[in-house]
Amino acid sequence: MALQTEDPGMSRQAPVERWAPEERDTLPGVGWGWQALTGIAVLFLVTLHMIANHFVVTGGLRDYQQVIDYITNPIILPLETLFLIVVSWHGLLGLRAVIFDFGLSTRAERAVTRVLLVVWVATMVYGVALLAILVTRR
Amino acid sequence: MTERVAGADRRVERQGRRRGVMGWVDVRGRRLGGWAFILNRLTGLGVLFYLYLHLIVLSQLAVGPSAWDSLLRNWFLNPVFLLLDVVLLAGLVIHGLNGVRLALVGFGIVIDRQKALLLAFGVLGAILIVIGALRFISDAGAK
Repeated sequence: MALQTEDPGMSRQAPVERWAPEERDTLPGVGWGWQALTGIAVLFLVTLHMIANHFVVTGGLRDYQQVIDYITNPIILPLETLFLIVVSWHGLLGLRAVIFDFGLSTRAERAVTRVLLVVWVATMVYGVALLAILVTRR
Repeated sequence: MTERVAGADRRVERQGRRRGVMGWVDVRGRRLGGWAFILNRLTGLGVLFYLYLHLIVLSQLAVGPSAWDSLLRNWFLNPVFLLLDVVLLAGLVIHGLNGVRLALVGFGIVIDRQKALLLAFGVLGAILIVIGALRFISDAGAK
């Protein structure tokens, strides 16, 4: 973007009109590439999650003790924590794209981004607190 | 040259965005990829709704063993709920495979034969959903 604004040939074209759509994606972790990257991570983690919780359990789904045994496993706990972080980011980023399809003003779009960021942080606090409670139940 | 092409792509993208949400239900000139886009949005919203429902329900684990186990016996292993699990699995499979398809096309790994890719993923998805459905339904009343 900086490279293009410094180009004298380009400055004759209406710059505001050109840069506006990109400005929203200057936040780190936002944009199509991140949606793809988190999507790939979610694909692996959700497959593990579904197999571990719905396919290999005797009786189909985990009862309380089986959940505690599962979540306190030293390999599973970091993977499920990572799943929580990445899947909520991917999901809220997707919701943001859907909301942006309504054609909001740049100001409204920034507000949406801020609200969704707060939702994500709240999800992290809730999720990590729940995991911490369950880990101590062992 | 590359700059100009990128600029043209952005203009097309912005024109598409201007159609907004109503563009989703506008069937005029919609190709196979367009339907896949709508399906991706709808399954994405559905799965996101489930994610938060799931996180809320998981709070019952913190209440204790009896709270969770009675939920499991009375609700989650009920055939109706297991059918809803099949719907969830279908949403995940469709959204996941479509996402992989989009990434393959978007990163330019698959440019030709996009239709064949869509068809192959469609068949793979159907197989996964059927396998999951058979497994889930067999769990009814298992505990």
